[in-house]
Amino acid sequence: MAEEKFQVIIIGAGVAGSAAAYRLAKAGREVVLIDRGDTPGRKNMTGGRLYTYALEELMPGEWSDAPLEREVTREIMMFMTREDSVSIDTTLSSQKQQSYTVLRARFDAWLASKAEEAGAMLIPGSTVDGLIIRDGKVAGIKTGDEELEADLVISAEGVNPIVAERAGLIKPVNVKDVAVGVKYVYKLPEQTINERFNTVSGKGTAMLCVGECNKGISGGAFLYTNKESISLGLVVDTHSWKESKLPLVDVAEELRQHPALGRYIEGGELVEYSAHLIPEGGYKSLPQLYSDGFLIAGDAAGMVVNRGFTVRGMDYAILSGIAAAETADQAIEAGTFTKSFLQNYETKLKKMVLKDLESFKDSHDYIAHTQHLFTTYPNLAVDMMNHLYKVDGNPAKKIPGIVKETIVGKLPYFSVLKDILKGGKSL
Amino acid sequence: MKKLTIDERLSKNRFETDDHNPHIVIDKDACKTCSHRACTYCCPAERYKWDTANDKLSFDHVGCLECGNCRLICERLNQGVPGYSWNYPIQGMGVIFREG
Repeated sequence: MAEEKFQVIIIGAGVAGSAAAYRLAKAGREVVLIDRGDTPGRKNMTGGRLYTYALEELMPGEWSDAPLEREVTREIMMFMTREDSVSIDTTLSSQKQQSYTVLRARFDAWLASKAEEAGAMLIPGSTVDGLIIRDGKVAGIKTGDEELEADLVISAEGVNPIVAERAGLIKPVNVKDVAVGVKYVYKLPEQTINERFNTVSGKGTAMLCVGECNKGISGGAFLYTNKESISLGLVVDTHSWKESKLPLVDVAEELRQHPALGRYIEGGELVEYSAHLIPEGGYKSLPQLYSDGFLIAGDAAGMVVNRGFTVRGMDYAILSGIAAAETADQAIEAGTFTKSFLQNYETKLKKMVLKDLESFKDSHDYIAHTQHLFTTYPNLAVDMMNHLYKVDGNPAKKIPGIVKETIVGKLPYFSVLKDILKGGKSL
Repeated sequence: MKKLTIDERLSKNRFETDDHNPHIVIDKDACKTCSHRACTYCCPAERYKWDTANDKLSFDHVGCLECGNCRLICERLNQGVPGYSWNYPIQGMGVIFREG
């Protein structure tokens, strides 16, 4: 039997859960934050980068001591074939602190500690097995032999929301709405990273690549520079990969072998190899976000937008954590935790997170079904540059000749037109 | 650059191993009737292997990265049919990301 009752229990001390706990604790509510890692962050992984506007929204002016890695001031998009590559390299010195690279073991531990400082009760090392449901209303959680009761439960349990699924509160995650990511973290001296990326301490690079690395499957490779390490990884659509029958562990290893990527981690020490899923279904796959005594936030609610050149999830997770906390606070004030009252959560989310998800509701389908993005176009880009730079003693060709030679017979004109038009609408 | 086996890669991680309580349960005999065996090529930690000598699936939950990909690509794990279940490790066990 439960011994005491809390106002709110939050499942998962990732960015969504800790953001919600922080806000509720600041509002003076009795909130419990429960996580399956022995310290928050130890089960979590990102590519990745965090857009700072969300942190500013959560704790205005108070995130200066956050363990962020490097401010992203350079963005690289790369197309690659088996041996070659072409990049679009953008430096954005004019942007001020828009985003930072981040490592979750450090960042999540810090954010959870902020929630604790504000008064939240943290229970680490506890895996939630199920919910207490009484008269159709969520009334608490079960972990091991223990039960904890609360007026409201917020699930921020992550991309595998098995607690909410098994309670029948959301539809099960569909295999077609998920991508799988693997990541290598290579330790390198700060100075070496600065030199390799032509930058100074504190400033960093974000790189996304398509082509040979993802074997024509929807997805791509990524590289982020951290303070003293480099995150290098691969993301591929789970369902398409299953159809491809390719060995994921071997393809992940090829990434390190590619000359355009391998050079950055050369001489570094591998310190971690991790994997994680990404909910990429977007607006069309959103679950029911609220039930009696229950709200769901972050990855568990599928709040991610992948537009190919930017992938956002952690910022939406923070915003949804804030919205869940505000809704919970109002519910406590009103003394009602009914589904109809908690609908306020969705109303709050519509102002920002859901607006973005709706705007880009077709982007996942577009990216997943636009095969040329991952095969034809990277090959063409590299081929074109290869021809352009070619000097081999044979009579040189003028540019129109090169273009003709590169694309004739290789470019399905009608498909290209369709891809451009649909891409413009979806992304 | 030297190629790394999956075991070499996993050896860089920290695991708090619960040898006796696998968080993922499968029925290796029943797995013989699977038409795709996608777990053998979709698991980022290569925990599922087809043992050709014994014509049987081998599975080791130790070293699992807890991503959940198998839960989605395997219909039996996904539906939790008898003999199959997918859960996170209990009480702080399993992989410990020190970077993340």
